[in-house]
Amino acid sequence: MRTAVRLFAACYFVLMAIAVTFPGVRPFNTVYPLVLGLPFSFAWVVGWVIGAGIVFFLVYLAENRR
Amino acid sequence: MSDWRIVAAVVAAWLLANLAVGIIPARRSSRSVAGYVAGDRGFGTVLMYFVTGASIFSAFAFLGGPGWAYSRGGAAYYILSYGVLGMAPFLALGPWAARVGRVHGYVTQASMLAHRFQSRWVAIAAGSVSVIASLPYIALQMKGAGIVIEQVTAGHIPQWLGAAAAYGVVLLYVWHSGVMGVGWTNVFQGVFMIAIAWTLGLYLPYRLYGGIGPMFEQIAQVRPELLTAPGLGPDGAPWDPAAYSSAILVSAMGFMMWPHLFMKAFAAKDEATIRRTIFLFPSFQVFLVPLFVIGFAGVLYPNPPAQPDAVMPHIVLSSGMPELVVGLFCAGALAASMSTGDALVHGAASMAIEDVYRPLAQKRVGDEERRTLIRRVALVTGVVGFVIALTSGRSLVGLLLVAYGAIVQLAPSVYAAFLWRRATAAGVVSGLVIGTLITGLLVVFPELRPFGIHEGLVGLALNLATLVIVSLLTRTPDGAHTSRWLAVSRGLSTPPEEVVSA
Repeated sequence: MRTAVRLFAACYFVLMAIAVTFPGVRPFNTVYPLVLGLPFSFAWVVGWVIGAGIVFFLVYLAENRR
Repeated sequence: MSDWRIVAAVVAAWLLANLAVGIIPARRSSRSVAGYVAGDRGFGTVLMYFVTGASIFSAFAFLGGPGWAYSRGGAAYYILSYGVLGMAPFLALGPWAARVGRVHGYVTQASMLAHRFQSRWVAIAAGSVSVIASLPYIALQMKGAGIVIEQVTAGHIPQWLGAAAAYGVVLLYVWHSGVMGVGWTNVFQGVFMIAIAWTLGLYLPYRLYGGIGPMFEQIAQVRPELLTAPGLGPDGAPWDPAAYSSAILVSAMGFMMWPHLFMKAFAAKDEATIRRTIFLFPSFQVFLVPLFVIGFAGVLYPNPPAQPDAVMPHIVLSSGMPELVVGLFCAGALAASMSTGDALVHGAASMAIEDVYRPLAQKRVGDEERRTLIRRVALVTGVVGFVIALTSGRSLVGLLLVAYGAIVQLAPSVYAAFLWRRATAAGVVSGLVIGTLITGLLVVFPELRPFGIHEGLVGLALNLATLVIVSLLTRTPDGAHTSRWLAVSRGLSTPPEEVVSA
C-alpha cells in the first residue's frame, strides 16, 4: 500500500513537471474557457498545485499508518 | 493623496507588534546552539507550517509576483509552478535528514554533508555557497521593504530608512530569540499577509472591473499575449519558452536546498510533522493567486506605476482607500519581506559559524561561545545585505534568480549523500566549486548561456558531471561508515556511533 502511494506520488510530480513546462503545457495554454474567472492557462497551474496538495495528503496518510 | 503620517503610524505600530511577538518566546528554548538554531528539535505543526510557508513567501512574492503579472503576464505562472514541485522530494529527504540529524546532532545541512563524507572541506564548501546565495536574497527582502515604505509614505521615508527600520526590528528579535523568534513572528506575519492578499485580490477586481472574470475578459481583448505562458521577457518581447521552463526546473530543484528551509527538517518535532507541513503547504502556495490577480488588475489601469515592482502599492494608493487600509497593506508587504529575511539572516549566520568558521578554526568552541558568534554574524549579515540592497541596481527578480542559481548547486551533494554510496568528498567539493563558478560566470556574461536556459541549470549539469567523474576517480569512501549513516537515515537502525555536537 505504502509503495503504491509512493509510486503514484512520484508519477504525479513527473507528470506535473511535464505539464507545466514547454512543450507539455502547449495544448492547455489558452485564455478560454475561463475557470472561476481565471484564464485557462492560469487555472491549469492552480489545478496542479491543488492536486499536489491531495497527493501530499495521501502520502501522509499512507506513511503514518503503522 | 492620503495622509502619509497615519500610514507611517500604522507601520510603526506593526513593527512594534513584531518586536513583541519575536522577543517573548525566547524564554522557552534552551540556551544551547541546538536551541538557538534548531529550536531544540521541538517545532510542532503550527510553527512548521508558518515557518515554511511564510519564509518561502517573501517580498518577491508580494511585490515581484504582482509586478511580473502586471508587466510580463503569464511569465509569472513560473512562480506558481515551482513551489510544490520543489517540495515533493522533501517527502523523502525531509524524514531522512531529520533522522540523521537527531542521531548525530546536526543543526545545518552542511554539517550533515561533512559528516556523511567525512571531510571538513565539504562543510566549508557547502556552507560558503549557502552564505553567498543568501546575501542577494536578503538584499532583495530589504529592498522590497524599503520600496513599500517609500511608496506608501509618498517618499517621506526614503527606501534606505524604511529598510533600516524594518530590519532593525528583525535583527533585534533574531539576536534575542534565534529560531524561536523567527518561528513565532512568522506565524503572526503569515496570518497577516494571507489575509491581506486574499482580501485585496478579491476586492480590487470587483471595485475596478466588476469581477475577476470580467477583468480577464477585458485584458483578453486588449493584451491577450499577457494571459498565457511564457508571457513576456524583461524587454517586452515574448519570453523564451526554454527560459520559462528552465526557470521552473532550477527553482524547483533549488527550492528545498535553502538553508532556512532545509534546516527546518532538524527543527521539526517528528517525521509526521514534516509530512503534515508538506501536505498543508499548497494551501500557502495558492496565496499567489490573489497576488497575480492584483498584478493583472494593473494592466488596464490608466496611469502606470513608476516601476513594475511597485504595481501593488501603486494600485492600493491610487484607488482612494482609507489610510488605515493602506497602512495595513503595507504591513502585509513588510510581513512578507521580514518573515523571509529573518529566517535567511538566521540561517546564513548559523551556517557561517557552524560550517565555515568551526571547521576552519579546527578548535573546540564552547556552546555558549558559538551562540554568541552566530548572533554577531547575524548582525554582520544584516549589514552586508543592507549594503547590497542599497548599491545593487538589479530588480527584485534579478536578485532572486542570481540567488537561486547559486543555491541549487547544493542539490547534487545532498542527493548524492542519501542516494549514492560511491560519492566521495573530493567529488562533492569539486562539483560544488565548478557549479558555482560556472553559474557566477554566466551571471556576469549572460550572452554565453546556451539556448537562453537559466545559468543555474548549466552550472548544475557541470556540477553533477564533475561530482560523478571525480568520485569515480577517487578512492572508495569508508563503506562501514556510509552503511551505518544510510541505515540511520532510512530509520533501519539508530546506533549512536558518534555525536558531532552536543
